[in-house]
Amino acid sequence: MSVFIKYNKPGSIGNIFNVQVLWRFNSTTAETMRKEEDEEFRVLDIMKKRDRQQKRTARKINIQPDRADRMPTDQNWGNVWPGPKTFHPSSVPLPIRQGYVPKGQAPPGKKANAELMKIPNFLHLTPPAIKTQCEAIKKYCTEWPKLLNSEDAIEKHYPVEVITSDYCHASPTIRNPLARIVNLRVKLSTLNLDKHAKDKFLRLVGDCYDEKTDFVTFVSDRCPMRKQNLDYVNYLLTACYHESWNVEDWEKEKCEDDMEYYIWDNNASKKSLVNWHLRCNNQEINLTDDEYKNYDISGISNASGYKEAVSSLMNDGENEDTVKNYGSAVRKLLGLPERKLTQC
Amino acid sequence: MNISMLKVIQPKLGAGQIINLAPILASQIHTSTPLCRVVSGKYRITKKRDRPLTYEMANPPHFIAHRKSWNSWNTSSLKDGLRRSETAVEDEFIRRFMTGTWHGLVCSEVIIKRQFNHIRVAAIIRRAVSPTKMYFLLGYTEELLSNWIQCPVTLELQTVDSFQDVVFKYI
Repeated sequence: MSVFIKYNKPGSIGNIFNVQVLWRFNSTTAETMRKEEDEEFRVLDIMKKRDRQQKRTARKINIQPDRADRMPTDQNWGNVWPGPKTFHPSSVPLPIRQGYVPKGQAPPGKKANAELMKIPNFLHLTPPAIKTQCEAIKKYCTEWPKLLNSEDAIEKHYPVEVITSDYCHASPTIRNPLARIVNLRVKLSTLNLDKHAKDKFLRLVGDCYDEKTDFVTFVSDRCPMRKQNLDYVNYLLTACYHESWNVEDWEKEKCEDDMEYYIWDNNASKKSLVNWHLRCNNQEINLTDDEYKNYDISGISNASGYKEAVSSLMNDGENEDTVKNYGSAVRKLLGLPERKLTQC
Repeated sequence: MNISMLKVIQPKLGAGQIINLAPILASQIHTSTPLCRVVSGKYRITKKRDRPLTYEMANPPHFIAHRKSWNSWNTSSLKDGLRRSETAVEDEFIRRFMTGTWHGLVCSEVIIKRQFNHIRVAAIIRRAVSPTKMYFLLGYTEELLSNWIQCPVTLELQTVDSFQDVVFKYI
């Protein structure tokens, strides 16, 4: 009968263990009796407290001590921090602190300090590291030419300057459209031009010439690549230079109205001066235009001063100085007395 | 972007009409996200004063460049900078990917520094997983990010024992 009682026990519905007991009971009665005494009633564990206790505890990871603590004082820092890197407290043996705290407190230390990780550091650019890197790339450098020892010498031997910009920025592409722009500038005085060619050159380049600095500047941004723009500005300079030396047929038709500045020798002022001079000396007046132009005025006293005064008046425009100069030059030419200061 | 739904109706003035220029109120519907300048990026004080804040959280946004620095370092915000929107979107993507991949482990903001085409991602990580897993996650993150963004990505992590190490103060 005991067999059936055991079978109906709550919590043990026909599992293997009970079947075995059943079988044993059939063989030996005495053994089964003893077993029954040891057996405990199972406890219904609704909250599963036992399982929860069995949850694994967090494994303690064996953490090495800081590398900074074991560093010798005479180590080569360039080997510890060879390149740019985010700040790492265990590799830097410096008692660094960063952060804003109220007065009287110490700022946060270097460990677990995000502020130190944010800022760019220059730990890879210590003076000895820079020195060794410079030594390493020195073999690729060539010696500076001895004759180019001053700015003037460089300017004399290399009059053409090419100015381009390189852009360095953080993005997946290294291209910047602004890098295509090429400036080429050259001093006008370094170009081999005569009077006519210089005039024509200035007319050709237009706004590219700056009178104050004497620089002719060509800027090109019309092509997509820098090389193409560089070729283009070189072409512009070459073309303008050679074109300015060409003399076209129609250029002979240039009359006095087309002149870019006042030349006294070509103008009516000289003609009237010569006429006046000849009339004073009771000479014949029958000169051609060329003769007027080439007439030597050194024979007329004070004529060179008059020429200067008229030229400056016409070229520099009317102002107090030029007008005064002109007045005194005329007085000298005609032999009149100087204007008295009291009359002013 | 404000879409004005009701426009101010100007009364047409006739020759002999009495001038009536009383202001007509116009109501507008704002479709942009609210700025919330007063509360955004700031944390409220709890009753028990037990809310942990990191240094980053403890300083509100107007202290950027005074007490704390930026989390993204790149040149696109400079004058005539290139790829502004792309950079911002990529940074947000990297942040989300990092916090998702290192789930529950990132104890600080994800710092993204760009140098040339190189992206350095820095963060403070909790030592809650085994070093083997950490190494796997490191390589996994670098590989996937560099494949998506098409430029070299380096993860430069610092580890701490628990979140308690990065707590600056409790409010």
